[in-house]
Amino acid sequence: MEYVIEMNHITKEFGDFKAVDDVTFKVKKGEIHALLGENGAGKSTLMSILFGLYQAENGDISINEKPVKINNPNDANDLGIGMVHQHFKLVHNFTVLESIVLGKETTKNGFLKMEEARNKINKLSEQYKLKIDPDARISDITVGMQQRVEILKMLYRDNDILIFDEPTAVLTQQEIDELMKIMKDMTEEGKSIVFITHKLNEIKAAANRCSVLRKGKYIGTVDVSVTSKEEMSEMMVGRKISFVINKDECTSEEPVLKVQSLTITNKETKKDKVNNVSFNVNKGEILCIAGIDGNGQSELVQGITGLLPLTSGKILLNNEDVTKSSIRQKCIAGFAHIPEDRQKYGLVLDYSLKENAVLQTYYEPKFQKNGFIKFDAVKEYAKKLIDEFDIRSSQGEDSVVRGMSGGNQQKLIVAREIDRDPDIIIAVQPTRGLDVGAIEYIHKQLIAQRCTGKAVLLVSFDLDEVMNVSDRILVMYEGEIVGDLNPKETTVQELGLYMSGTKRSVYNEA
Amino acid sequence: MKKLGIIALALMLILSLSACAKEQATDTPADGTAEIALITDVGTIDDKSFNQGAWEGVVAYAEEANKTYKYYKPSEKSDDAYLTSIDLAVKAGAKIIVCPGFLFEVPIFNAQDKYPDVRFIILDGNPHAGDWVPVVKDNTLSIFYAEEEAGFLAGYAAVKDGYKNLGFMGGIAVPAVIRFGYGYIQGAEVAAQELGLADGEVKVKYTYVGNFDATPENMAKAAAWYNEGTEVIFACGGAVGNSVMKAAETAKTKVIGVDVDQSAESETVITSSMKNLTKSVYDALKLFYDEKFPGGEIQVLDATVNGVQLPMENSKFEKFSQADYDAVYGKIVNKEFEIVGDQDVEGPKEIETQKVAVEEIN
Amino acid sequence: MKHKLKFSLMNSSWGVSFISAAMAIFIGLLFGFIILLISNSREAVPGFFAILQGGFADGAKGIGDMLYNAIPIILTGLSVGFAFKTGLFNIGASGQFTMGAFVAIFIGIKWTFLPGHLHWIVALTGALIAGALWGLLPGILKAYYNVHEVISSIMMNYIGMYLVNILIVKNIHDKIKNQSLPVAKTAIIPKAGLDKIFETNNMNIGILIAILAVIVIYIILSKTTLGYELKACGLSPTASKYAGINAKNKIILSMLIAGALSGLGGGLLYLAGSGKYLQVVDILAPQGFAGISVALLGMSNPIGILFAGLFIAHLTVGGVNIQLYSFAPEVIDIIISAIIYCGAFSLLFKNIILKINKRSSRQEASK
Repeated sequence: MEYVIEMNHITKEFGDFKAVDDVTFKVKKGEIHALLGENGAGKSTLMSILFGLYQAENGDISINEKPVKINNPNDANDLGIGMVHQHFKLVHNFTVLESIVLGKETTKNGFLKMEEARNKINKLSEQYKLKIDPDARISDITVGMQQRVEILKMLYRDNDILIFDEPTAVLTQQEIDELMKIMKDMTEEGKSIVFITHKLNEIKAAANRCSVLRKGKYIGTVDVSVTSKEEMSEMMVGRKISFVINKDECTSEEPVLKVQSLTITNKETKKDKVNNVSFNVNKGEILCIAGIDGNGQSELVQGITGLLPLTSGKILLNNEDVTKSSIRQKCIAGFAHIPEDRQKYGLVLDYSLKENAVLQTYYEPKFQKNGFIKFDAVKEYAKKLIDEFDIRSSQGEDSVVRGMSGGNQQKLIVAREIDRDPDIIIAVQPTRGLDVGAIEYIHKQLIAQRCTGKAVLLVSFDLDEVMNVSDRILVMYEGEIVGDLNPKETTVQELGLYMSGTKRSVYNEA
Repeated sequence: MKKLGIIALALMLILSLSACAKEQATDTPADGTAEIALITDVGTIDDKSFNQGAWEGVVAYAEEANKTYKYYKPSEKSDDAYLTSIDLAVKAGAKIIVCPGFLFEVPIFNAQDKYPDVRFIILDGNPHAGDWVPVVKDNTLSIFYAEEEAGFLAGYAAVKDGYKNLGFMGGIAVPAVIRFGYGYIQGAEVAAQELGLADGEVKVKYTYVGNFDATPENMAKAAAWYNEGTEVIFACGGAVGNSVMKAAETAKTKVIGVDVDQSAESETVITSSMKNLTKSVYDALKLFYDEKFPGGEIQVLDATVNGVQLPMENSKFEKFSQADYDAVYGKIVNKEFEIVGDQDVEGPKEIETQKVAVEEIN
Repeated sequence: MKHKLKFSLMNSSWGVSFISAAMAIFIGLLFGFIILLISNSREAVPGFFAILQGGFADGAKGIGDMLYNAIPIILTGLSVGFAFKTGLFNIGASGQFTMGAFVAIFIGIKWTFLPGHLHWIVALTGALIAGALWGLLPGILKAYYNVHEVISSIMMNYIGMYLVNILIVKNIHDKIKNQSLPVAKTAIIPKAGLDKIFETNNMNIGILIAILAVIVIYIILSKTTLGYELKACGLSPTASKYAGINAKNKIILSMLIAGALSGLGGGLLYLAGSGKYLQVVDILAPQGFAGISVALLGMSNPIGILFAGLFIAHLTVGGVNIQLYSFAPEVIDIIISAIIYCGAFSLLFKNIILKINKRSSRQEASK
């Protein structure tokens, strides 16, 4: 069998730290090869070595069975290797055509010859069913479109080895399905694909083989068709993970949070980001607001918690009007908020763990006296949270939060918010960017809260999360609620239709 | 608390270095010793004014007599900083210290007691304790200048050269500036009489701008005067001159400089009403080394000792000649004119004039 | 274990701050030495050591001069550093300093009806209040109208400077020297024998007041809920909003305190009885800008600022002493500026060290 990529015994060290430790990685021609691993397992480092961004200390690389030395991305490009990065590297005010051609312009006497390029791109886009408008500006097209532009960029450069770094993170289910199909089409044309991910569903759906890394070490390569998700996840994490979340029914009909006709208008654009939204969250219920990012979910939550001013509408907590209350008053009344951007809103990154643990409670008598902070009490409290919620960091309660891992940062926020014994927990994207273990943990915590009679309002763009955790799903599209669904009765595909605005069941609770 | 020691440790590092430095310093004594020292006042050594004029005298004498010399710049404008610089100069072996300007009055009052073996020369000031009562000890020489005579020369020369619309822009109404101004009016009057001009034919606009700075306001005022027909302005107030020269350059008119020869400053400067700073410092230093230092004296240097002058070689007169200058200078030396000073009259209008009409502008 | 030792200094936060401050100072000194070499290579070495020796060359008097020079810049440094901890760049220390100085002198000259032992205290308090008001205005503009404090406080610098010029001329003008009149003896800060100890007329209990200010600010920042709130606002305005902290109040309060510190600095300098008078000149008070360097070198930490202020004053005294060698006094200004300038890079070095550390700690965490 012919290998297009052979990376033998690759080791990459940063100081004394081996990011990639004696990894051997081989990709056959014409296959989709998944590279699976948790955050920090070394996937990106390995691919960066292949793409010429890093030099390995040890090991050798062969491309198409010829030993090569890849010193920089240009070398990689010459060898036919292309990469779609997780964060697209596009110039916003360029057109699609300009973006694709950038760096590889055909010129004549110093003038651009765009027609040739346009023809080639049109041909490619037809061949691989990558529909694009070559004259649209990057800033005007959707994230999914931008990804197509990145893919076309690789194809335009005649790359045969394509690396996709977590390509589905930003896409809707429909777009993901489309991407999988495009990837398969490309392999049929003889291209080879490396697909970096930690989502097992997608590996199952698209990949032929899968190599697993864990903590920089190579664990093994398996044939996807004969390996179960559970087996792969065990390889990835090193222990068994349960995918089925056991939840007992404990929803009551008693509303904790009532949101009535909420409207939030953007000051600059004068557009209603949230348009006349009403719903209740009941005791013991996890209500999930699903939708594609940017359809008003963030504004809705910021409006409810008080970070954004409301244009109109009412908010009631336990039947008391808290519309006009300040953030602190809401906090005292029983709101807890796990914010969307944990580093921007949830934490003061340069404060220590213990200082962050009392971010909303530092002024309470148990933590201060006559304006002086009782550091001993704060320390004890932080220790308690660390023990109870298993927050790991290098220097315990004195660790500076900036230096903690994303998962532990999130655990700290969850711990702090839950420990305040609130009536409603509003969580936005609480598991974004976290590894499987941390996700599992946070889901368990949310469900545990629900079972003690709290209400949970969960905003998520991750359909697996939406389907698994929630008791009820509201779908938001362009600032309005367009669907009220029961997770047990709906499918991911149906959700996708609501999320893309194709389907709508008129919804009005009030 | 952990950060407590950040810079403390850094400082300790420096200190340990300087501990080594101390030994070094005693091994190799500073060879920057200087017998003749000058302390600058606020400005730089090349301020085209007091510092520079006095410094040139120091250099001239020291080069000629082969003495070591040096100038020191205080760290800030305060009496204590001046005194610290004097301390430093004494430490470096100064035997005589030149202090240009009245800012040194209080520091020298203290220094003359602190260093009885060191001689001090102060220009344009009297040592006092801050109460304006002059106390000139035996080791100190106070030098003043007869500004009214310098001003007289300037006014006389200007009118003799044919100017009839004159201006006087003083800085702040301090005695020295007032003396310049009064002398200027009287010089113009005498020249007008000699020329047989009609009464009031020579006009003098007279003001104190209230500062010694080059400011847009000063320039605007000068420009306005020039615009109203003033042909030459005697700019008598430090950097005020720069503003006036700027205005004159635009208006294609003339300026009379002050204190030192300012002809190099601008083409518009026809002459300068000079105090002979350089010569007076030179003379005082010579007296010191001839062991004839006139300690304890308050000297007023006038024309009889060549204390004031116009720099004729750099002047741009058309009619006023060297012979005219020598003649009038001789008369001043012989005290043929009774030139009134700041103590004699209340204001410029009080000066008796016939030919000259003074317009005082506040 | 050996590995741990290697990084222990680099990992602790004070260690990082120390190393970066030391590096900044070292590079600044090196740069200064090069300038000395260029201007007079023969005496560069002794001259350089004279700078390093600074206030320690002259026994007690030298130290006294150093402390005198340090007082105003410690306070303006505190002012800038304190505001910076709250996320505000108080570039208006100069104006606040001048306002404080003026009010102190004004009270010192005019309010002679006050009993002697109260006079200087009232004058200093006046300086504090004047500075606070001058800081308050940019604070209000920032909090309620979102006017950037850098713009408004620069403007306040000029307004303060010209206003003080006008007020001096109208009220307390020494016409001959074009400066303020001398203050009454009772308004001079008591010397409490410090002038005897340090053998210089400059010294008074002002240095103790400055140290007290450092301690108070240190306690506010690190021990109180107010400090907790102020720092949170500075480090993350969004997170403090999320935490329900009233940022508007905190901005105003922070600028108020910062202004008060600068104003106090002005009062302390001009009531020191060192024969220094407020000049009627169109120049912004340089102490305000020196405060920015001091705050940067001290990394906005009050204790760091104390030592940074002393260090810069130490160099200033060294700069006077270097005149013993054959250097043009102007060269000294260049050298001191260069050292201060490089001192401002301490933050840069800190970031570099932290970056290196981050990399090495990532390895350790995964081991």
